[in-house]
Amino acid sequence: MATLVLSQLQKAFSEQVVLDSVDLEVQDQEFVAVLGSSGAGKSTLLRLIAGFEKPDAGSIELDGVGISDSSSVLAPEKRSIGIVPQDSALFPHLSVSQNVGFGLQGGSSQERQARVAELLELVELTGYANSKPEKLSGGQAQRVALARALAPKPKLILMDEPFSALDAELRTRLRLDVKAILKAEGATVVLVTHDQEEALSLADRVAVLRNGQIVQVGSPTEIYNSPVDIGIATFLGDSVLIDGKVVGGKLETALGQLTPLNTVSDGQQGLVAIRGENFYLQPNPKGEGEVIGQVFFGHDAVVEVLTRGIKIRARSNGPFAPEVGMKVTVWVRGAVNFYPA
Amino acid sequence: MKKPPKIVAALSISAALLAVLPILYLGLRLVQGFEKAIEELLRFRTIELLGNTTLLVLAVTISALAVGFVQAWLTTRSNIFFAPLFGVLAAMPLAIPSYVMALGFISLFPGFSGFLASWLVLTLSTAPFVFLAVTAAMVRADTATEEVARTLGLGKLAVIRKITWPAVKPAAFASSLLVALYVLSEFGAIALLRYDTFTRAIYNSYRGSFDRTSAAALAVVLLLITLLVIWFERKYRGDYQASPKALTKRLRVDLGALRLPSVALLSLVAIMGIGLPIISLVSWSVQGAASLDWGNLIAALLVSMQLAVSAGLLIGVFATAIALWSVRYRTKLGAFIETVSWATHAIPAIVVGLALVFFGANVTPWIYQTSWMLLIAYLILFLPNALSAISTPIAQVSKSLEEVSRSLGTPENKTLFKVVLPIAWPGIIAGVALVSLTVLKELPATLLLRPSEIDTLATRLWSATEDLAYSQAAPYALLLVIIAGLPALALNSQARRALTEVSS
Repeated sequence: MATLVLSQLQKAFSEQVVLDSVDLEVQDQEFVAVLGSSGAGKSTLLRLIAGFEKPDAGSIELDGVGISDSSSVLAPEKRSIGIVPQDSALFPHLSVSQNVGFGLQGGSSQERQARVAELLELVELTGYANSKPEKLSGGQAQRVALARALAPKPKLILMDEPFSALDAELRTRLRLDVKAILKAEGATVVLVTHDQEEALSLADRVAVLRNGQIVQVGSPTEIYNSPVDIGIATFLGDSVLIDGKVVGGKLETALGQLTPLNTVSDGQQGLVAIRGENFYLQPNPKGEGEVIGQVFFGHDAVVEVLTRGIKIRARSNGPFAPEVGMKVTVWVRGAVNFYPA
Repeated sequence: MKKPPKIVAALSISAALLAVLPILYLGLRLVQGFEKAIEELLRFRTIELLGNTTLLVLAVTISALAVGFVQAWLTTRSNIFFAPLFGVLAAMPLAIPSYVMALGFISLFPGFSGFLASWLVLTLSTAPFVFLAVTAAMVRADTATEEVARTLGLGKLAVIRKITWPAVKPAAFASSLLVALYVLSEFGAIALLRYDTFTRAIYNSYRGSFDRTSAAALAVVLLLITLLVIWFERKYRGDYQASPKALTKRLRVDLGALRLPSVALLSLVAIMGIGLPIISLVSWSVQGAASLDWGNLIAALLVSMQLAVSAGLLIGVFATAIALWSVRYRTKLGAFIETVSWATHAIPAIVVGLALVFFGANVTPWIYQTSWMLLIAYLILFLPNALSAISTPIAQVSKSLEEVSRSLGTPENKTLFKVVLPIAWPGIIAGVALVSLTVLKELPATLLLRPSEIDTLATRLWSATEDLAYSQAAPYALLLVIIAGLPALALNSQARRALTEVSS
């Protein structure tokens, strides 16, 4: 039902262009993640959609109705767009259930209470209905903030790095919970984040924002496997770039002949991006590669290898990773992306 | 730009007008009678007052700085015995209004008067300002630099001179200027101790003659001196904003053989500043208990409370409106209104009182000689205090809470009342309470402006002391310390923070 359309959005703060001709469509019940590094314009984009800032040019439509353009901005309270801020921003003077019920207007008080109870159950915090926000842990506070945003059944939910303040383990668990809750409510969601794992694991579609422009939109697998340029390829995960040349549909490189993922034509010169997990290191006393560094992460390890004058960083199974000083042969598994110069 | 609710704008503008109009009117009157005023000011008497006032301000400022600094250093940086206890004792005189302290001394030592008496009483009264500011600065400063200095060959005294003092100098100077302002505007203690400064002369010439030009001319001179000091204070206040540091283990200097003499020194200051006045007041109260007119005491208590609570609420409402406008809407007009409201900051109460006498008698005769005049005087005097207390909690309400509220369908102005004010509420109440307690102790403006049938605790104390009826004055003084002084000290956040730090 709710469709968000951003057309040619433009925003500058004192001459500094923050968003430049942003186009984006979000379908009903779709979960779109906007992925960008800090300073890319993510927060400004959310504030424009929420109605806290006015675009310099372009327009925003929700359900076919214009809500923002350079001449007029519909007030935030009239948009039916809920927000889940980075710091939860729970009202400290209200209890958990009062926080969740804050945006409920109209209807009988029983109806409102029922809705609050329903949401508290959904976020599994029924026992905390009368607690004050200061008693909650970070993860609980974020779930209350989500329930509060969902309560009035808004047309759209905006989430601003909602998991960044949490520790790693909690983050992973909460992500799954939140995804399930949002699906259960049939919500349409725009989430902004700098965390690619978060974007790729949660969203139906990912939009990559760079220097105020959306440079690629696609499903998580598309974005990860076929970044449109080297910038995105290196931003999304650790890639090694080496020179390559297309010969007979294959990529000739210093690391051997590789299979291109994208369409290429013979004779092209350019760069090949190989991800850490595409490397396979075979221990071999006569191998040309030598392990020169290793960072151990437990479940896996990043191993630095110098081979044929090229330094690569390979992901390797943690406990079985080759030690520094070992000789190895470097293999590249799977297809790789090629970017013509 | 966003507009504040109409009620906020209306309250703010009327408060600012009320605060500045009477002072402007005083100036206007003086310009009209310019020649006569000049004639008044060119008398030898004016030079004498100027000399007396300057001497007292300089003497008290220097001695309060010395006492406050020594107290702060001994309690935070040395291994003196009972450091937390001496910290509390150093802050305690804040609970005793200076005219109460003066009464304590006079009633013990008849003939205690003049420059030395005023100097002693005001030094004891104002040293806590320096003590608190310097303690805060010493707690913030990193003692690691002092340890490094010792390893580089500096002795204990050299470290104080070259490391400790420079680190707290801005705080020490800023608080000294506050002391100077306090002495400039002090009336009660100086008048009781019969030392001729501007404030006492203004009051006497107002009381002594029908022609008030002389009082007005002196008031303007005092106002100009005050503005000069405020200018200095503004200039030097800005540069001490040391960032809060992570607390490391504090180095305490071994006093060695000076440990006991130091205890004696701090004990002496405490005995003079708290012990003597309290003992004197208690013993006089006991003596006077039999002949005390309890009806008068209770009537004065009720009047004082009534005035204090209504002034606190009135000023609280105005200050909240101004703080909302300037902090949450950030418009030029809002900032201007805030600046105007601050303009009356530190203007001596006797000047405000006199300005209102002129203004009331000539412009608003229908409220002259009513309690409304008193409330307006309190508004002018204490609006800046209320603003500084109330702005902080209002500014601390996070912007994102407002945004969330609006995204949930609550319009901006309603958000103010549903989210911002409820969250800031405890801070606002504390601000109102602090202002009420300050009003309770106010003397000079109350003396000039009170309707003739009204007596407060402070004015009763004043008239009994003028009649040398110490046993009649002492109960009022004790009551003021208990119901106004001690609670105000307990609410003083700077004092609370300093004392927690000293005792930790």
